[in-house]
Amino acid sequence: MSEPVVTEGDLAEMAEQVWVSYLDPEGISPLVPHGDVKQVSEVHSTVSITGSWHGHLVFASSQNAARKAAAAFLAMEPDEVAQEDISDVLGELANIVGGNVKAMLPAGCFLSLPTVVLAPDTASYYPAAERISGLYGIWDGEPVSISMWQSVKAEAGA
Amino acid sequence: MKILIADDSRVMRQIVTRTLRQAGFGDHDLVEAADGQQAFDNAVAEKPDLVISDWNMPEMTGIEVLRKLRAAGNDVKFGFVTSECTPEMQQAAEAAGSAFFIVKPFTAERFDEVFSPILG
Repeated sequence: MSEPVVTEGDLAEMAEQVWVSYLDPEGISPLVPHGDVKQVSEVHSTVSITGSWHGHLVFASSQNAARKAAAAFLAMEPDEVAQEDISDVLGELANIVGGNVKAMLPAGCFLSLPTVVLAPDTASYYPAAERISGLYGIWDGEPVSISMWQSVKAEAGA
Repeated sequence: MKILIADDSRVMRQIVTRTLRQAGFGDHDLVEAADGQQAFDNAVAEKPDLVISDWNMPEMTGIEVLRKLRAAGNDVKFGFVTSECTPEMQQAAEAAGSAFFIVKPFTAERFDEVFSPILG
């Protein structure tokens, strides 16, 4: 099987940029990959890519990780963060990584607005799509993953 | 100067505001817009000196806002802060009259580099 258009290494590089910029600017608590695809999440967000490439980018984490991320984005304490902010940050995380992923895909792709689901990533089903790569790791003791799903139909038709 | 920050994410608007402050531009008058239509309306009503806009927003995308402003004869300095970073989008932005293009995630150093010539 040929290498996916976006590899785990590519996702790791993008994640590192997000962590350095917003989640861990002091470099003390990076996302540490472990590769366990069965890692359980509690919340997730998705952006869809259409056009010359069809698929989805999914950011998933524990509720605690999402709360910590929102706190880091807002420069607040985790217990001060509202649920609305957590959802906002989850969507923005998928949007930021999705936008960067899009730059690696063929020209002529469109990125959707994010969808946020306050349930495990297994609660969302992507018809006719399969996971082509994923970054699974632990951030500050909490599970975080970023995965890419490609529409099988579009690939077969390419 | 008055700066309009347009992004559908409230958190991202706050980060843009904070990063402006970190880059030394905290003294400006800031107004916000939460979607493309509001961005257009506020760009007209508030008469900002600078618009910092997201690309993907509900109602109207950032590039549609820019094109609509230019079509209406509004020459406000306008640029993008977006996760979208394909060459075709940067070209489209430039062709529509965008003054800058900042890719998310961004740093205070990047803001300083882009906004120093504009905000002084």
